[in-house]
Amino acid sequence: MKVPVSWLREYVAYDLPLAELARRLVFTSCEVDRIVRRGVPDADGNLGRFRVARVVEAIKHPNADRLQLCRVDVGEAEPLQIVCGAWNFGAGATVAVALPGAVLPNGVALERRKVRGEYSNGMILAEDEVELGTDHAGIMLLDPAHEPGTPLADVLPLADDVLEIETGYNRPDLTSIYGIAREVAALTGTELAPPPGAEPERADDEPVDVQVEDEERCPRYIGRLFRDVAVGDSPLWLKARLLGAGMRPISNVVDVTNYVMLALGSPLHAFDHAKLAGGRIVVRRARGGEQIRTLDGTLRTLATEELVIADAERPVAVAGIMGGAESEVTAETTTVLLEAANFEQLGVLRSGERLHMRSEAQTRWEKGVAPELAEAAALHASELLVELAGARFVGHTDVAAPLPGRPTIRLRPGEVERAVGIAVGEDEQRERLARLGFEVGGDGLEVRVPAWRARDVRREIDLVEEVARFRLEEVPATLPARREMFGRLSREQRLRRLVGDVLVGQGFFEAYTYSLQPDDPNPDALVLPEPLSELQRVLRTTLLHGLVGSARLNVNAGTDEVALYEIAHVYLPTGERLPEERWHVAGVVRGGYFRAKGAVETLLEVLGLEQRFAAAPHPFLPSPACAATEGGWVAQLDPRLLDGEWGAFELDLDALFARVPERVLYRDVVTFPPVREDLAFAVAEEVPAGELVAAAREAAGHELREIRVFDVYRGPQVGEGRKSVALALTFQSAERTLADEDAARLRGLVVAELGRRFGAELRA
Amino acid sequence: MDWTGYENEAGSAIAAASTAAELDEARVRYLGRKSELALALRGVRDRESGQLLNGVRGRLEAALDERRAALERAELERLYAESAVDVTLPGARFPRGRLHLLTQIRREIEDIFLGLGYEVYEGPEVTDVWHNFDALTTDPGHPSRSPTDTFYLSDEVLLRTHTSPDQIRMMESREPPIYMISPGRCYRRDTPDATHSPTFLQVECLAVDRGLTLADLQGTTLTFFRRLFGPERKVRMRTSYFPFTEPSVEFDVTCFICGGAGCPVCKHSGWIEMGGAGRVDPDVFRNVGYDPEVWSGFAFGLGIERIAMLRHGLPDLRAFWDNDLRVLSQF
Repeated sequence: MKVPVSWLREYVAYDLPLAELARRLVFTSCEVDRIVRRGVPDADGNLGRFRVARVVEAIKHPNADRLQLCRVDVGEAEPLQIVCGAWNFGAGATVAVALPGAVLPNGVALERRKVRGEYSNGMILAEDEVELGTDHAGIMLLDPAHEPGTPLADVLPLADDVLEIETGYNRPDLTSIYGIAREVAALTGTELAPPPGAEPERADDEPVDVQVEDEERCPRYIGRLFRDVAVGDSPLWLKARLLGAGMRPISNVVDVTNYVMLALGSPLHAFDHAKLAGGRIVVRRARGGEQIRTLDGTLRTLATEELVIADAERPVAVAGIMGGAESEVTAETTTVLLEAANFEQLGVLRSGERLHMRSEAQTRWEKGVAPELAEAAALHASELLVELAGARFVGHTDVAAPLPGRPTIRLRPGEVERAVGIAVGEDEQRERLARLGFEVGGDGLEVRVPAWRARDVRREIDLVEEVARFRLEEVPATLPARREMFGRLSREQRLRRLVGDVLVGQGFFEAYTYSLQPDDPNPDALVLPEPLSELQRVLRTTLLHGLVGSARLNVNAGTDEVALYEIAHVYLPTGERLPEERWHVAGVVRGGYFRAKGAVETLLEVLGLEQRFAAAPHPFLPSPACAATEGGWVAQLDPRLLDGEWGAFELDLDALFARVPERVLYRDVVTFPPVREDLAFAVAEEVPAGELVAAAREAAGHELREIRVFDVYRGPQVGEGRKSVALALTFQSAERTLADEDAARLRGLVVAELGRRFGAELRA
Repeated sequence: MDWTGYENEAGSAIAAASTAAELDEARVRYLGRKSELALALRGVRDRESGQLLNGVRGRLEAALDERRAALERAELERLYAESAVDVTLPGARFPRGRLHLLTQIRREIEDIFLGLGYEVYEGPEVTDVWHNFDALTTDPGHPSRSPTDTFYLSDEVLLRTHTSPDQIRMMESREPPIYMISPGRCYRRDTPDATHSPTFLQVECLAVDRGLTLADLQGTTLTFFRRLFGPERKVRMRTSYFPFTEPSVEFDVTCFICGGAGCPVCKHSGWIEMGGAGRVDPDVFRNVGYDPEVWSGFAFGLGIERIAMLRHGLPDLRAFWDNDLRVLSQF
């Protein structure tokens, strides 16, 4: 919302530097984005170079057919010669002049210069040149009562400050200048002027035919009829205010509706009464397929959910959003039907969403405007139509559902302190509320909420906020008096950190990739019905694709060593309303299968988990080498997925953590010495080394403390189709020193078992 | 026997030894068990010749020790000279990875709150309208509910738009007191640009206890930001609106780049907007079965990316999701 300060000050004459006012508004009321200076710059006496002037003589420029050569009295001893391109005036006209040296709002500095051989000492001004309007058809003609030489700034609003504020969803009252004035009055302790507008005299009592079929979505409709309306330009002061507030002047009638909306926050609309079939207004739902061309020129087809303003035959406005082009007020209009209505917020919101429309009126209705305001808006607009368009006010009707009523709330005096932590006296509470328009009466604090806040302030706590927000700068910093402490990560959270740290320690970089992916291998994965883009469409069930994408980005960026991991949720379809979210860890690493497997082995070791890997087809990828392990897989990536040798893994952390021992028990590996043996076995090529290891463990039992594969050899000595697998075994007991016979017995068990199960022959 | 001649001869042999072996040879020859000196000492019967021979032995042993030490020194010097390197050459590195910057900041935030006696709660990202909006007393007409702002999977199920559903889940799960933070991914239909991403990370703080006030909120945010950004920081609260807090505030922290004097980071205001906060709305308590006359609480929320961007001067938040190692390895 843009708030021209001169307009604000008409309602509240606060005495405070503007910057300080803005600073305080930020604490108590709303965001202030910035303060903008608009119009004629007033530095270095620039405003003094803009004067009222009277044209003494105006003749055709001797050397140019389209220019006038004027002599104008600017209050100095001698008239000045000025060349002017406009022809809408002659000798005797009272005009606005900028003298040489003057700087215009667009930054141009005027100087005395020759125009087609004649000196021009400044410029006779059109309204757009000083940002008082948009018209450049002719120069501004001023009231002849003004004396030549009068500073122009005394006559016209040449310069103004504009506060640009952002209003919260809960404060529809702040979408109006008067509402902000009320806030400023409360904030500064200044008196607030009464609401603008005085009811004009009613010249006649013609009937106004208004029928409301949907009182829920249109709780109030005030229709007023005006005859003998002279549609034309608005006065400069009004144009300047509209421009300052960010709206374009159109014509006096339309400008009045916009002006009053900005002043009071309740939007209005003006219809050309002559173009309303039957002279009627019917507020109803659209009939399926009905069409309307709205003021923005778009032909719109309406669904039956849309509320429209119709005449006897067809829609003439989309209620609360935009008027229709056919019933628009034009230069020919003489009879105006003024609509000062109230539209329910949700209805307008949904219509706007369905029709993809946005208007100033709509943004106000969507926040919820009090129906009471329609009356004040009708009154102020009527006054201005009579005053500015010479209209005769000849008819009035007010079709209203029972007004929603204003809640009365009891505020316990201690509640503010209970919420804010500082004592606020009852008198102060009473005064602050009263300044905001709350009626505070009775014993204690019985508070009646004003209409313009009735939607937002419904409960005691809402009143607490109304008082508290004026004291926020004084709130001290204390800490809760604690009776119980919780400062510890859960087991899963600690383990998850550990997983990240272990991978980082192995050289992996952590990545963050999107939960929403273009595709997912699980055909039942949850799909957004309306994604933002096709690239973010499916809730992933695997972290792999995001990592592959990031790996590719790095390769393309010229980074050779790439090792990435991610820890994040996956979203598994359950057939129920909500998916099952599980924590996964996944990694992608340059260098192939064994690098990925090495990382996983280290991870399992740190977590205290058994190493179990078995050849298995990949759950969803073509892969030249893949092993299943607890809660996931390790694989060589298909080169079509990522060019070169890449390994990858993905593990379900919840499954993994379920097996992590609660505590690690001490094993005595110090007291009795270990016996180490290296054994090489010749086996058939297809026997997996992992199965040899597992079988050896089974056979030797707990005294086989450690076993690992340290060499695989193929060659003529082993024979065709066979390989030699070398195992390093460590036998150790926690109870006694193992004698040579013990070691021999254990070795015998291993050799016998591997021979029996795999036809393994012990090599020398 | 000419012991002076013996001593001179032995002394020369020791001095001439240029290796440990030569030295040992000299020792065996002149001081060994079978040396003339040892044999003579064994046969000594009178005190005078005993003194003489022991004197010779003592001097020779000292000369031997001295020569041995000199040879060892020389050997060590040779070794040092051989192994001298250009110490400015690169080291043999161990592989090094990094936690993502966002995780580093997330952990830092978690650790601060753990130190303040808060627990870390992590709820699901796919949730229902009840937890994301209704229970948080969000108006039916509030723009955040609109499908133009929120990713819906169905009329009832959506991707959470903030971490606040975790407040509800936590409160539904147990009785106060509650002191928790909930970090995690959130989703909004924002078109990606330098400061917006449809996926982003938030962390939310919730405290529910007896007698909590806005002053406790102020003190908690102050403590938090001083630990995060340094002990000089100040915080302030400004009025605002959120459906689930009353009163609602936004809080700012004094700029940690310029210290409050004004700079481009704080847009010359001296203050940086950090997030939204407020006292828990009594209707939120009613929705989870807490009595608002007994319990009171405060909550606040922060964007993790924003902290990372401000602190490290990252201009574009999309960099967090690209995972370009040239960027990630800087932090």
